[in-house]
Amino acid sequence: MRNLLVFLRTHYFILLFLLLEAFSLSLLFNFNEFQNSAVYDISSTFTGAVNRTFRNISEYFSLRNTNQALVEEMAKLHSRLPDAYYKSDAYSFYRKDTVYQLQYRYISAKVISNTTNKRNNFLMISKGSLQGVKNHMGVIIGNRIVGQVVSVSPHFSWILSMLNKDSKISGKFKKNNQLVNVEWPGGNYRYGSVKEVPKHVNIKEGDTIVTSGNSDIFPEGILIGTISSFTVATDENFNYGTILFSTDFNSLGYVEIVVDLMRKEKEELKATFKSE
Amino acid sequence: MTTSKVVFNNILRFFFLILIQVLILNNIYLGGFINPYFYVYFILLLPYETPGGLLLLLSFLVGAGVDIFTNTLGLNTSACLAMAYARPHIISLISTGPDSLMGDSPSLKNQGLKWFLYYSISLILIHHFVLFYLEAFRFTEFFLTFIRIILSSIFTLVLVLISEYLFYPREK
Repeated sequence: MRNLLVFLRTHYFILLFLLLEAFSLSLLFNFNEFQNSAVYDISSTFTGAVNRTFRNISEYFSLRNTNQALVEEMAKLHSRLPDAYYKSDAYSFYRKDTVYQLQYRYISAKVISNTTNKRNNFLMISKGSLQGVKNHMGVIIGNRIVGQVVSVSPHFSWILSMLNKDSKISGKFKKNNQLVNVEWPGGNYRYGSVKEVPKHVNIKEGDTIVTSGNSDIFPEGILIGTISSFTVATDENFNYGTILFSTDFNSLGYVEIVVDLMRKEKEELKATFKSE
Repeated sequence: MTTSKVVFNNILRFFFLILIQVLILNNIYLGGFINPYFYVYFILLLPYETPGGLLLLLSFLVGAGVDIFTNTLGLNTSACLAMAYARPHIISLISTGPDSLMGDSPSLKNQGLKWFLYYSISLILIHHFVLFYLEAFRFTEFFLTFIRIILSSIFTLVLVLISEYLFYPREK
């Protein structure tokens, strides 16, 4: 017993180091479990408050760009008002339309923290579970992709940015609906990579890649980017492309969260499929 | 300096450096390959007399403080702990004896440029190596990550040296 105490006293530095290091590594690799704990809510609330204070000051410097974006968005919406349409007939009629049913609703949120210079980037936004944000909802800006919600506290949410090694977006070529996966290889935040494009796909510079709608996270047809360069592999069956993101991740002020109103129905369908 | 003043200075530095890191340095974009982690300056400047347990604990806390702002809990703490563990070893390795350590805590002014460069370069490299390789965690990105480590370490070192010259100028 005495020897043990002596051992602990002489080696306590390395023992404490190993203990703490094991603890932090387990935090790092079991992060998903930790996200559900109460400590996480508290720390999110704290960092959210600090980030919001700082953002309230710094957002004055980007008011010009924010205004520009708002004006453009408004013009787009104006053009869809009933007034903008020519009425071909004097009388109108009502028809219950089962072909067009509302599937997506959008929640706008302010970005209060955002990085683009790390290998794994996250955004924090100022809306949380109280405003209806839930895990695995897609996040877009205008018609362009941003990321997906990965954790939610009452007033804030963390968004897994497209610029993260864990982001793998299911996309497709707009011209011929060929499916591809889009990832971010790190480095320049403007460029991502499209891997494993089948050889028979006629890939060209300037080809548009949009979301495929297969993943339940994003609606179909959200812009991801355009092909900026590609390599034709000689010995493999796949080509590789570099994609220029449509989104400027470094200047995100406001984003929209996609609420899929039919999500529950889809999940229930999946559950019945699995249980059989 | 009295003990209470040393403690007060370090507490102040703790919060100041975390805020600088998460509000400013994390938001500066430098080509996508340079991420300075200037907050390690806190660990560099802790007094020589800091007990080993306290050194590890403070390093853990400063790492956790940065981590909760980037949603990467465990990443910066692991790197800081490795750095804190190496610190006493590095100090005894590059010093000729306990008598050669001047003043309360490591500084350019007390120890001279050569000693301070050895000290900060080795510790910054240890921290950045652990951090970037844990962050990427892929063999396919080995060399890319290596370049990031070297560039970022240089940038961190420059920030450390600038603050050494700014806040602790040499007496003439």
